[in-house]
Amino acid sequence: MVAERAGYTVTMFVVDISKSMGATRTVALPPGPNGEERLTEMTHLQYALQYVKFKIQDMIYGARKTDQCGVVIFGTEETDNQINAQHGGYENVTEYIPIGTPSAATLRELDELEPSEVFGDPVDAMIVAVEAQNKHLGKKKTWTRKVILVTDGEGPIELEDWEATANKLNELNIALTVVGVDFDDQEFDYVQRDKPDFKRVNEEFFRNQFCPKVNDSVIGNLDRVLEQISLPDVKTSRSTLMNNVLRIGDVDTRTEEAMEILVKTCKCTSINRPKAFKKFAIRPKTAQEEEAEQTMNADYGDENKVVTVTYAQLKARTEYYVHKSDGKEDEEEQVKIEEDGEPRTEDLEKVEKEELIRGFKYGTSYVPCPEGQFPKLPTKKGIDLTGFIPEKKFRREYAMGEVQYIWGNPDNPTAQCALSSVVQAMYEKGVLAVGRWVTGDGRDPKMGVMSPALFEKVHCLLWVPMPFADDVRRYTFPSLDELRNKKGEIVNEHAYLPTEKQLEAMDDFVDAMDLMQAGDKDEKGNRTEWLDIRDSYNPSFHRLKQAMFHCAVVSDLDTNPLPPPHPELLKYFNPPKKFVKKAQSTIDNCIKVFHIKHVPKVVKVARKDGHNHANDDDDEMLLLDRKPSTSKPSQSHSQAQISPKPAEDGSETEDDDEDEMLIDKAEPTRRPNPLPTPARSLNNDDDMDIDPQRDPDRVIGRTNPLADFRANLERGDIVTKVVEDMSAVIQELILAPFASRRSKEMIECLIELREVCLQEDEVYAWNSFLSSLRRICIDSSPGNKVFWSEVRNVGRALSLISDKEAEKNGGSSQFSEMQATEFLK
Amino acid sequence: MAPYDDWNRVDEDEEDELQDTAFFDAKKDVILFCIDCSPSMLVLRPDPEDETKTTSHLYAALNSAMNLQKRKVVTGPNDSFGILLFNTTRKLDTPRTQGSEIKKNMFLYQPIGPISAPTIQELIQLLNAAQEDSDEIQKQFPPCDSRVAMGDVFTSCNWVIRDGAPKTATKRVFLITDEDDPHPSSKQLKISAQTTLEDLAQAGVIVEPFFIQSEDRRFDVTKFYSSVLQTNAFADDVDSDPFILNQSISISRIEDLLSQMRFREVAKRALFNIPFALAKGLTIGVKGYGLVTEQKKGEYKYFVDLGDRLEAAMVKTGQLDEDRQVEVDKSNIVYGMAVVGAAPSNDDAEDDSMAATKVVRSGQRPFYTADEMRSFRTLGLEPGLKLLGFKPRDTIKFEDNVKHSLFLYPEENTYAGSKRTFSALLKSMIKKKVVGLARGVLRRNSTPTIYAVLPQEEDVDEMEPAGFHIIPLPFADDIRSAPIDEGYIASDDLKDKARAWINKMTIKSGYVPDSYPNPAPHKFATTALAFHYDQLEASAFREEFNPDAFEDLTEPNVDLIHAINGAQKAGKLLKEWKVVLANDHSATLVIPVTGSKRKPDDASNDGIDVAEIKTRIESGSLMKASPTLLSFYCLKVDQLKAFCRSQNLSTSGKKSDLIQRVQDWCNSH
Repeated sequence: MVAERAGYTVTMFVVDISKSMGATRTVALPPGPNGEERLTEMTHLQYALQYVKFKIQDMIYGARKTDQCGVVIFGTEETDNQINAQHGGYENVTEYIPIGTPSAATLRELDELEPSEVFGDPVDAMIVAVEAQNKHLGKKKTWTRKVILVTDGEGPIELEDWEATANKLNELNIALTVVGVDFDDQEFDYVQRDKPDFKRVNEEFFRNQFCPKVNDSVIGNLDRVLEQISLPDVKTSRSTLMNNVLRIGDVDTRTEEAMEILVKTCKCTSINRPKAFKKFAIRPKTAQEEEAEQTMNADYGDENKVVTVTYAQLKARTEYYVHKSDGKEDEEEQVKIEEDGEPRTEDLEKVEKEELIRGFKYGTSYVPCPEGQFPKLPTKKGIDLTGFIPEKKFRREYAMGEVQYIWGNPDNPTAQCALSSVVQAMYEKGVLAVGRWVTGDGRDPKMGVMSPALFEKVHCLLWVPMPFADDVRRYTFPSLDELRNKKGEIVNEHAYLPTEKQLEAMDDFVDAMDLMQAGDKDEKGNRTEWLDIRDSYNPSFHRLKQAMFHCAVVSDLDTNPLPPPHPELLKYFNPPKKFVKKAQSTIDNCIKVFHIKHVPKVVKVARKDGHNHANDDDDEMLLLDRKPSTSKPSQSHSQAQISPKPAEDGSETEDDDEDEMLIDKAEPTRRPNPLPTPARSLNNDDDMDIDPQRDPDRVIGRTNPLADFRANLERGDIVTKVVEDMSAVIQELILAPFASRRSKEMIECLIELREVCLQEDEVYAWNSFLSSLRRICIDSSPGNKVFWSEVRNVGRALSLISDKEAEKNGGSSQFSEMQATEFLK
Repeated sequence: MAPYDDWNRVDEDEEDELQDTAFFDAKKDVILFCIDCSPSMLVLRPDPEDETKTTSHLYAALNSAMNLQKRKVVTGPNDSFGILLFNTTRKLDTPRTQGSEIKKNMFLYQPIGPISAPTIQELIQLLNAAQEDSDEIQKQFPPCDSRVAMGDVFTSCNWVIRDGAPKTATKRVFLITDEDDPHPSSKQLKISAQTTLEDLAQAGVIVEPFFIQSEDRRFDVTKFYSSVLQTNAFADDVDSDPFILNQSISISRIEDLLSQMRFREVAKRALFNIPFALAKGLTIGVKGYGLVTEQKKGEYKYFVDLGDRLEAAMVKTGQLDEDRQVEVDKSNIVYGMAVVGAAPSNDDAEDDSMAATKVVRSGQRPFYTADEMRSFRTLGLEPGLKLLGFKPRDTIKFEDNVKHSLFLYPEENTYAGSKRTFSALLKSMIKKKVVGLARGVLRRNSTPTIYAVLPQEEDVDEMEPAGFHIIPLPFADDIRSAPIDEGYIASDDLKDKARAWINKMTIKSGYVPDSYPNPAPHKFATTALAFHYDQLEASAFREEFNPDAFEDLTEPNVDLIHAINGAQKAGKLLKEWKVVLANDHSATLVIPVTGSKRKPDDASNDGIDVAEIKTRIESGSLMKASPTLLSFYCLKVDQLKAFCRSQNLSTSGKKSDLIQRVQDWCNSH
């Protein structure tokens, strides 16, 4: 299809408001907050108008003066159209909205439409619409003419001279769309049951007679059309060509050896941002208005009472204030005010914008600058070629912004030829050009690189801006590969370093996740590539647009909420399911060998005293001491042991909103000395909370696991993690030397753990833990058979959680009551 | 009324559009220069830049401090600085009325405070005086006989910072010394240095050392500093090498001091800390950093002239119901489509003095809440990255770009095991020459975007860290089609001639820094920005700005291009290329109709017209003399316009305007 010229279109909407359009229908709404199905009732007309309003909203959104429309309605009790006025006839047809550029008012007028008590003739209405359109456009041949008829086809149609009408449409090159309420639609797989006979006749007339006769026509079912328009569409906009010149060498003094190529530039990529929403707020009623409404409602009686709410559109207002106080206030104090964020309104005085001087801040000093700008750098328009760089040396991550095309002037063959020769030579040699771009005399220069682009019939350059020295930050990051211990020796095995096995697992994963074969099959049956950005919709852009359209079309968002986003918008949110399924074994392997553990956030204990001094930043760090543990059966940490240097990360220079967990390398006995400020003493509070026998990724330590367990649950940490860690700690402790000393404590732990598992739907976790505990105690060596017999002594209360027990607490279990009883015998 | 700190905040829905630099502006940096004044620092040495002069390490250190302050005006105008000198007998002229007393033989030259023109000027005056009289610095800061204990130095730093630094700032001490073993015999002093330094670390202060070594005197960090500093100085380098000091920290040439400081002038800050899901159940933690961001000119501010001083005006922006002149609280704002004013016939609602309103029945809600707006923007996604898969490196094209990239580095605290996983992924991707594709929402209110995940191999020599660059890819909505699809293609001969001069103009190193320690990745400075700030500085110091003294480093070096030795340079080859181009058959050909619309009948004439005008111009030496320009008047308007178009000239105006334009063109070519 040939791309339409944007704008320069007059669309006539011909809308049926006959009596039958007043019938109500049930329309499905997007599911409610809990996924429940929701339905609403509306008239055919309201439903059909959604389509018309959507189309008009699209025009308003596009904001082109030359995208115009008019609305003709039929089935009106009165008759108001120009043909009727001049020649009579064409009754019950009204030219409702004259042709013009639509606005929000157009939508509001459509909202006022109500079904009538009579019927009107669609063909008559079309003739009126075409006539009005023709009169409006006159001889303008280049304009696109469209007629969109929306009807339920239940009214009588005069079937005499319809062919003349069809011919007229063809003659004027009008594109016709017939949208039928509940029309049968084969493609949509829809057939209206108990369709009235005359409607069937009318439908057949449109489908088999009228539309085929019109050269450019489509007919469709309203439901289908409504679904189609929710599909996101990409408006391809053509960029404007700008004049510029590509300069090579010194064109001013060494003309002979320098060159100017006349070029045109235009955008190649440009971020398409959604239109801004307007802001509104409910306007409180004044006493007068309140009263007026009440008196009005008093007349209507209770049943017809109309209480309205007014939303007012807001406008931004900027005001300027200055400190009233005289010069006594020194700068330091001002700084403090800013920091404390505690405004002292009484000191402020409003000033008018006219009294203000523009200037810049230079540290604490102010530099007035009346025009708001210093003289600009005297630059000359043009793209100066600085040199060429090998393509391999181009750092893709330095590309800073939107890409531009650079073309040889299309009206200047020599310029095209010159540019083409440069582009070809660059391509052949594998180099990119470096240049300095000035859009206009006196404009700020930009640096960038140009890449040769060889299209089939034309050669050009692509420009991308590159950073200036000031734009690059060179932070230092610790090495990922080279870890050293305290002695300065290189560590080869560490929890931070991947093992051979892990590297292999990752290699397999990367291979399995290759997208080059992840797409659909082509005609030859070969798998194609998945994910093409040229086929990707900006989800926010289209979602916001959809939302804007929706709220323009419906009057209440609570009863008629926004439908879910079109699936097309979400297609690149996750890789294809089949593809992931294929890679699943490598994923599972990675999960197993990398053994990543989520560390729940440790909630900071509130301080009792208010002495928050020097380091009480929002990025305060919790210092965790950790002694290398002596016995650690957990295989995941065996590597960490090799280096006494603990897991430590997060430089202190960084500040996130979250608290950083900093694991100090100092041993607990060597606590840092308190600072000369009294506030430091509070650090002792923290000591209470920190168990030196706690592994860094665990929330439960070995010193007092039950207390940790309770504290964590109270804080609302993730239950799964707490249960998991508790289980692990119990297993470690019962296998540790002299475990018998703590067996009573461990039984207590088990009892509480089971209770929590039962309450918190961690039944499966408990049951599998208990099975593994039995295995460890009895089957493994050295095991702890004594402890297991203690568990058995407790009996049923510590056994598997049965389905009965689980059900009582809203969970489920694969074990029966019988099995649970048997387990400990 | 909204609190002050809300005043300058942008609306939530616009937050997303904010430049990333906003993150940097939000936090303040505090740098305390802590400079050794011992006799060795004061030794006069020949100035490496000017052999007729002498200079000292202390001079260089103060000079660097001054330069860094000047630079910081650009990158962090809200930051604070201070200068603390140790090993000097200079004392405060007047005892400080507030704040802590500092230890003996230390001198607080500049207390910590925001950058201001007077403090910088004071420093400049001192430096100027030192240039006149090389003993000036020694006079100002006489050295003391015995060294101050480093423990006392750190304690003093702590006090100075505590007195002057804002609570929420990142606080750093730039320690500059040339003494690698301040306390050779005392173990006690070493331990005291360690503990006082730990106090500093506790207070959130980081010490960044700049150790000066000279040819005759190597700085051996193992003697004292490596054991003292390891708790702190390598805060972000703890994993690497606490023993052998990172090379960047010992400076062999004092001239490098400033460039070393520039490396560290901005405290490293993460922009976000989010989970990166490689697959379901395989999630690691990553932090994101902005390594490439456009540095913009600060915006002008409004001031009120109060007679004796200028006072900055506070700007307060609120949302107003115009009819009622009532400001609406932010939490009550809802969002929707524009409505038109009271009179529906009035299309121009904007000019309508009546505020537009929408009246609905009570209980109906025609507008969205701020939360709903956010969910539309993010499509309900929480911040995080999700890996979609891998593709060969070359599938990411040059033109697939709309924004600057960000850098990812693993973060171990939310997901234990992130580092090894990250590291394995990085190695695997480098080995297989693939890039990742990931879908991400980086912040709470930002748009889901598809990113190319580009692995970067660690390069210790070039100081390139290991990590991933994430490059936001354009959506189909952002891609513009090429408006031109046909044009002249140069002959091979012409191409070869072009290649000849391109060969001469190739910079082998690309954008890689020429040599360490140049902190800039390439030689280009932000000229317009520098120009602006030079003027701002001159104005702040009440000096005259001299635009001629300003050197624009981005202008191409034309002398390199043009011949000095004839054939060796590109200039001559350019000339040869131009000759072939001029003789190319295309010059006489008819222009094909490309892209832009044109009347069909003049398309066929265009080429001839251009050629014709050219011949007229070539025989035009006569014409320039002739005032009548008859030969031009013979041409039709269409022909003149076609010519103008081909030369990027405007085609507006009357025939006489066109002729004037063509004539001007002739005179200048």
